[in-house]
Amino acid sequence: MSAGVNGVTTKTRNGIKVRGELLKMYKSLHTWVGICSGLLLFIGFFAGALTMFEEPIQSWSTPQQHQLRLADQLSTDELDLLVSQVLAEHPAARQEIQINLSSDQRITAPVSWHEAEADHHALDLDGHERQASLSESGELVVRDYAPGQLAELIDQLHRSAGIPGEIGHDILGVYLMGVAAFLYSIALVSGLVLILPTIIRDFVTLRPEKSRKRFWLDAHNLIGLTSLPFHIVIAFSVVVFAFHDQFYGALSKTVYGEQPMFGGRGGQPPVVHQIEQLPPLSELVAKVRQAAPEFDIKAIEMGGLETPRARVRVALSNPDYLTRGAREAYLVMNPYSLEVTNWDVLPGHEDGWSGLVAGMFGIHFGSYGGLPMQWLYFLLGISGAFVFYSGNLLWVESRRKKQQQLEQNGRRINSVRLLSGLTTGVCLGVMAAVAVAMLIARYASLHSSVADTTINGLIVSGYYLVFLGWLVWGLLASLWDERRTGQQMLMVTGLVVLVIPLAGLLSLALGWSQLSLTSVGVELTAMVIGLGLVYGSRRLAAKSAARPLELASA
Amino acid sequence: MSASKSQFRNDWWLKSLVAIVPGFVLALGLAGLFAWWGPGGIDANNKVQFNMWLIAILWLLIINLVFPLRSGWRALQWIGGLAIVSQGLLYLARTGGAA
Repeated sequence: MSAGVNGVTTKTRNGIKVRGELLKMYKSLHTWVGICSGLLLFIGFFAGALTMFEEPIQSWSTPQQHQLRLADQLSTDELDLLVSQVLAEHPAARQEIQINLSSDQRITAPVSWHEAEADHHALDLDGHERQASLSESGELVVRDYAPGQLAELIDQLHRSAGIPGEIGHDILGVYLMGVAAFLYSIALVSGLVLILPTIIRDFVTLRPEKSRKRFWLDAHNLIGLTSLPFHIVIAFSVVVFAFHDQFYGALSKTVYGEQPMFGGRGGQPPVVHQIEQLPPLSELVAKVRQAAPEFDIKAIEMGGLETPRARVRVALSNPDYLTRGAREAYLVMNPYSLEVTNWDVLPGHEDGWSGLVAGMFGIHFGSYGGLPMQWLYFLLGISGAFVFYSGNLLWVESRRKKQQQLEQNGRRINSVRLLSGLTTGVCLGVMAAVAVAMLIARYASLHSSVADTTINGLIVSGYYLVFLGWLVWGLLASLWDERRTGQQMLMVTGLVVLVIPLAGLLSLALGWSQLSLTSVGVELTAMVIGLGLVYGSRRLAAKSAARPLELASA
Repeated sequence: MSASKSQFRNDWWLKSLVAIVPGFVLALGLAGLFAWWGPGGIDANNKVQFNMWLIAILWLLIINLVFPLRSGWRALQWIGGLAIVSQGLLYLARTGGAA
């Protein structure tokens, strides 16, 4: 590559000229890739920050009075009996059954399965699952359950920005997010090149008084630079998450050819077992404890029990390890022989290659280091979202002067207003819409039945109504006066978010809910975010009062 | 060529196209060479997942190397040339270079 870049560092007048042109090129590149990917990335980062606390949010939104007896309330014998009874009486459970051993906040039953095959890629709005437990007297209790989709909605927003539609076997939004990740990597590199010259001089200075643009620019640079390593890992892991099928396809066609890509799968001929031969759960648990003594067993998933491909996947957790899953490590076993068939996704047992890969997954998910790391990732996600929001506003500000001149000559450029309206509408719209979805999830389900799926419909339609409403509001009002719009929408969004802690206090006072660490955590965080938005709006208001808008009268 | 040498050209469309098409072929070729000749060879257990990640990492690197090149044409020569070389070596690796 050196030939082209050479001119930058060496030689004569040409060198200096090329260097200036390079910086100019990087400036336009940074602007345009930023504008094209910023809004998608804002949604991905904001929702991604929330997924760090998916479990508390889900449990906050799920009424507690409907719980069955969970695994930690059942004795070992009772659990064995429960599992064998379910498998004996419900053939659908033999295809796939989930056994939850942890008393994790999201868990509502010790055993669950689906009567019909579930689609794991899309939101399952009227999806039901069957849940079972034993009553105090040892009777099998089976019920229909509609899992709340709030956490799932947030996860979908994180992965696809909420853009629906399916292509191949994934969601359109996931691929768009992958494309945004390419642009994002270019924005990172060009942004870095642009601030390198000033990096030593003034990277740690925020200049709130000098001018509004300077303040936003300094904050944008400071956060972007300090979290750069995190952003780099996110950029290429998102490309992988979006395009792994295509990459594997290309590897298989052009690199591996006849070579097996995933190695031989076990040497023994497949055997079909009878369900009666299945060893009791307690034997399986004992075997896992022996194989992975330093891990807690969270869940056990058994599948294909009456096929040659019978398998058990055990989800394990230990915050001291980087893990392959978003929350957990896995051990794959044969449910009949109880042999471990795959050690590769268990930290400490994997070989070099899968260890490296697990590390990259783990760094994307923040699945190591426990609670402090979850908070750090939450902050990185929120501050990343701020980088994209401020990036767009910086462009709007820098164009405003140009626009002013042109408007005086009787010409209007609407691109500034359009982007300003889009930025305000999309970014604040997502925040308001998630807040409304959370409120619906928590308060609409207070007195409904657990099998009621209408709430999931309400959550999702509530989300999209508010999001689209905010988008239309942002776009239309910005045509009139984009500065006032930004400031008003910040205020209203802040107030909407503040309803979460206020409603929490009210429902506590009315006795609808009990005080818990989870509710305090969720509601306090919402309060801080809401107050931050209100504060941002007040700041903007003070700024425009100090510097009245000439263009409003044009 | 001496006149064009002193000029830096943005060539947005050509550079983007080079980054995407020959850029991907080069990333795939390099990942393929790593798969065959890198540590462990082609049949190392679980290496395929790492190789897949490598494509993404290399592709993003290549995309970012294209834009500071002097012109779109120059980018096409470099990236296209390297892509062809990498695929040629990969062919060698697949047909008998694997020791």
